[in-house]
Amino acid sequence: MSPTHLVSRRAFLIGCSVAASPLVTSVTFAAATGENRLVIILLRGAMDGLDVVRPIGDPGYAALRPTLAAGEPLNLDGFFALHPAAAALMPLWNAGQLGFVQAVATPYRIGRSHFVAQDALENGAGAADGGMTPARDGWLNRAVGLIPGATPDTAVSIGRERMMILDGAQPTGHWFPSEESALSAQGQALLAALHSADPLFAGPFAQAQTLTQTANLEIPRDDLAYRSFGTYVADRLRAEQRIASFSVGGWDTHQSQARTMSDRLASLSETILSIQSGLGKHWDTTLVLTMTEFGRTARENGSNGTDHGTGGLMIAAGGALRGGRVFGQWPGLGEGQLLAERDLMPTADVRAYAAWALRSMFGIEAQALQSQVFPGLDMGDDPGLVL
Amino acid sequence: MPDPASRLEEIRFGYGPRVGQALASGGLDPDRVMAQLTARDKPAEAWTGPTLADRFVLIDDQVARRRAKLAPLTDPTYNLNTIRARDALAFIARPTAASCGFVERLVNLWSNRLTVASSPGVAILIPPLRDEAVRPHITGRFPDMLRAVLWQPAMLAYLNQNVSSGPNSSYGLRKGRGLNENLARELLELHSMGTGFTQADVTELARLLAGMQAAGNGPELDERRVEPGEKTILGDTYTTGIPEIDRLAETIAMRPETAHSVARMLARHFIADEPPADLVETLAQTYLQSGGHLPPMYRALLTHPAAHDQTLHKLRSPQDFMAASLRATGLSGDEEETPAFRKKGMRLGEVMARMGQPVFAARRPDGWPETAPGFLTPPMVAARLEWATDLARLTGERADPVAQAQHLLGDLGTPLLFGAVAGAEQRWEGLAVLLGSPDFMRR
Repeated sequence: MSPTHLVSRRAFLIGCSVAASPLVTSVTFAAATGENRLVIILLRGAMDGLDVVRPIGDPGYAALRPTLAAGEPLNLDGFFALHPAAAALMPLWNAGQLGFVQAVATPYRIGRSHFVAQDALENGAGAADGGMTPARDGWLNRAVGLIPGATPDTAVSIGRERMMILDGAQPTGHWFPSEESALSAQGQALLAALHSADPLFAGPFAQAQTLTQTANLEIPRDDLAYRSFGTYVADRLRAEQRIASFSVGGWDTHQSQARTMSDRLASLSETILSIQSGLGKHWDTTLVLTMTEFGRTARENGSNGTDHGTGGLMIAAGGALRGGRVFGQWPGLGEGQLLAERDLMPTADVRAYAAWALRSMFGIEAQALQSQVFPGLDMGDDPGLVL
Repeated sequence: MPDPASRLEEIRFGYGPRVGQALASGGLDPDRVMAQLTARDKPAEAWTGPTLADRFVLIDDQVARRRAKLAPLTDPTYNLNTIRARDALAFIARPTAASCGFVERLVNLWSNRLTVASSPGVAILIPPLRDEAVRPHITGRFPDMLRAVLWQPAMLAYLNQNVSSGPNSSYGLRKGRGLNENLARELLELHSMGTGFTQADVTELARLLAGMQAAGNGPELDERRVEPGEKTILGDTYTTGIPEIDRLAETIAMRPETAHSVARMLARHFIADEPPADLVETLAQTYLQSGGHLPPMYRALLTHPAAHDQTLHKLRSPQDFMAASLRATGLSGDEEETPAFRKKGMRLGEVMARMGQPVFAARRPDGWPETAPGFLTPPMVAARLEWATDLARLTGERADPVAQAQHLLGDLGTPLLFGAVAGAEQRWEGLAVLLGSPDFMRR
């Protein structure tokens, strides 16, 4: 194989993406998707929403959380109070750029399995048993296909791990900083020829080649610190990308929750704030949403933690948010108000909030959202998440 | 035309051929693979670390020394940090050195299925789980392996069983403590059945398991945390005590759901991400008929036509890939302390993390991915290519990459691969192309 048969790396990538893409027309490579930006953060392990946004006004709360209610939470609206470890986010709350949705869940509410629930959350099919769409693709990927003018650069997963939420028929990016290859151009061309001929490797290889083109940032070779991670996400969103998704793990707090939760929330706050500062004026047209596979038991368990539950919490931030409020209908924690006498009762489908965010930020039709992105979803009334 | 040498056997059921070592003939020979199960493997055994009991002694000793404000022991035989580093290196070096690769593949497979991922204090306990609870049982029964792993201190700590107390136990009543469902759930969902149980079964199982505690010398119950009374799990009634917990493990291990999930795991690991349905069914029936014995399943697997398919369908995991590439370049992994490795930043543990398989630190209790997409994100592919390039630069100055490709892949390699390896400008680059090729990353 002669290297002259191969086009340049960048051209190779674009050529490859276009071939696979039904959504790209010859004129859409200019970013035609506008200035709105959406960040979906998946909190893996099931975040305890009742600890993050504490219902201190609910008469049942204190008794359910004998040790976890400790500390001095920050008053939000008189009824709810924010976990003290997220104090760094209070300026956003005061500016109307931070909000929460309480008591949400996917329709998968019986099994309480992390893995089924995470797949269900990312796939978005909404089956009660956690079953997926036949394509086993991600709802955000399906949504990208419905955004007028979207290109393979519009949406990006960030991090090392695979993100099902952006997997699927629409070409999307996957970014994480990497080093320049020590191979000669010819050596690289030979590898490119082998990988592009292999269906399993062609896509990831082509994208791997672009990862070295990113760094004007000093990125360590091992895991990114939370601040640099947020900065990296913001960098992508200042370039062509308009939708970014990544995951943050470590929320499965069966034991000694107080310590783990403080650590996780501080890191998450730092990530959100570094996205804000990295985006500059673009923060005004940005919406950040966190989603987690389910909530945790209303009662503390026997080891100062919480077990797998149902109703959970969505965190929303951004200049595009109509914030400063806790959205959702509160189900109560009293006798008979818990699901199966153990979990916060979900009062809304978490997918409806994601659907309304897509509707407001990218103008996707409700009918398409309810049939293609989230099959069978009833979006209900607009909760007014976006300004 | 099947490759007449044993490459397929080495690649699909081991860690690939080693440079400079002649290959056996006869293609994939099930008898030869099965013989590995009872053979001695001295190069691999050299990587065995201290036993669980010894580690408990060392941990106690370190705690005592800390209390007495004494410095930790510096003798590498007794220093926990040295042992930990050696454990992590062994994760790569042992399969690299092994002459019975099939055995090491099985140990890694079952250890991953019954995962403990490192959390503070647990890392030092993971190798005994692999070597004392998994390894002895890969030639025996899965129910015994399940039970042995269940009682491992690493597992009890990782899934919080050591802090679960019966709400009506003496400790629970006095301190207001209660159950932690973590291990109960994953035992049913990840380690055995997968499906076919309810939340009520999980909670009842948590009541049965309350009181299990970490010990260096076999199962122990902390009677103060044991939940009194009967528990009904999957329709069976249990009372209290170690034999009851063991009976539970045996019972769930012999459920048909477990048979199918074990069968699917085995077929998916060795054959294809979506293995042939008839193979899975055959393996599951073999499991049930043999009372959970694993070797008859291996034989059924090795004699199935899919095992002899000349197309390599599976992606090598980062561990497989790294061990195979070290074998292919005549290294052992022990070189990571050398200046040449250090200069290039080739710390094996860091490279493994970048490839998506941080040693002893799977992100989820279901372990590292068993299918290709989980290890094929662009950043992970970039890390593989970086490793292939670094390794080739280090070892390939005098290499004959075309002969190496022939030795490693033979008729299993594509014509495109041999053309590309031959087309490189320099010897080491030809080797980089070989090690970084999709052909070499498959098994």
